[in-house]
Amino acid sequence: MLENSIFAILSLFLVIGSLGMISFKHTIFSAFSFLIAMLALAGLFALLENSFLFLAQIMVSVGAVVVLGLMVIISLGSIEKNIPHEPYKFYWIFISTLLVTPLALLIYKALISLHAHFEETREGYGELKSMGERLFSEWVLPFEAVSVLLLSAMVGAIVIARKEKYFKKENYFDNHNQQEDNK
Amino acid sequence: MIPEQFFILSTLLFSIGLIGIVSRRNIFVVYLSIELMLSAVNLLLVTFSRLDQSMNGSVIALLLIAIIAAEASIFLAMIIQLYRSKRSLDSDKFSELTQKKGQQ
Repeated sequence: MLENSIFAILSLFLVIGSLGMISFKHTIFSAFSFLIAMLALAGLFALLENSFLFLAQIMVSVGAVVVLGLMVIISLGSIEKNIPHEPYKFYWIFISTLLVTPLALLIYKALISLHAHFEETREGYGELKSMGERLFSEWVLPFEAVSVLLLSAMVGAIVIARKEKYFKKENYFDNHNQQEDNK
Repeated sequence: MIPEQFFILSTLLFSIGLIGIVSRRNIFVVYLSIELMLSAVNLLLVTFSRLDQSMNGSVIALLLIAIIAAEASIFLAMIIQLYRSKRSLDSDKFSELTQKKGQQ
């Protein structure tokens, strides 16, 4: 009974947050709605007895992703003239809801045909120790692949977001020569 | 608490993310919708892990959280680069790769 009421509150926050995210005009309100949705999702992970994923979700999705997004939004998207003019927004949302509904029904029918039900958890399920044992025995290759992926994402983000003029060769040599002249 | 509740919630989140991608033009909302779809998949993985009583699904969910972080960094860098070239956040203006030479 308690679990059901917690689930109801968390799912209410999750759905309201995600609906607010796609319907607000100002980007900053969308980002805050997304923050609420991610916190509720972390609560759902805790309800499914995955305590480590609860912490990882709060640290990464809330602490890193949303805060980084908010930083970019504050620097670019909070000015009125930058936000695109969308007069028919709710009309398009209605049309795309009609388009997406059959797909959602298909996914739900496929999932519900499992006839699954929750059982009592085993000893040590969801704890950090069993997670670490599993991660460093069977899943060690995907783990290393993810580390390489994160490194390449970091390099890629720096290369994409840089300003061209600081990295051109001739400019570099010009600056270098000037510095030497100044000496 | 039954698994069907989580299945409904996950399907709903995925659909809302898809609707956001299709119907909005603000590039930030598109980005947050992609994140929402990935999170819906994450919720489904954790539900399956709880049903299966093994940690495999949780480990995939943990790796998926790392991939979400990588995607966020790349996408925000792309937004900054596109804003620099077009001075706008409208995703319709970022369609120049689809234009043939001579158009526009």
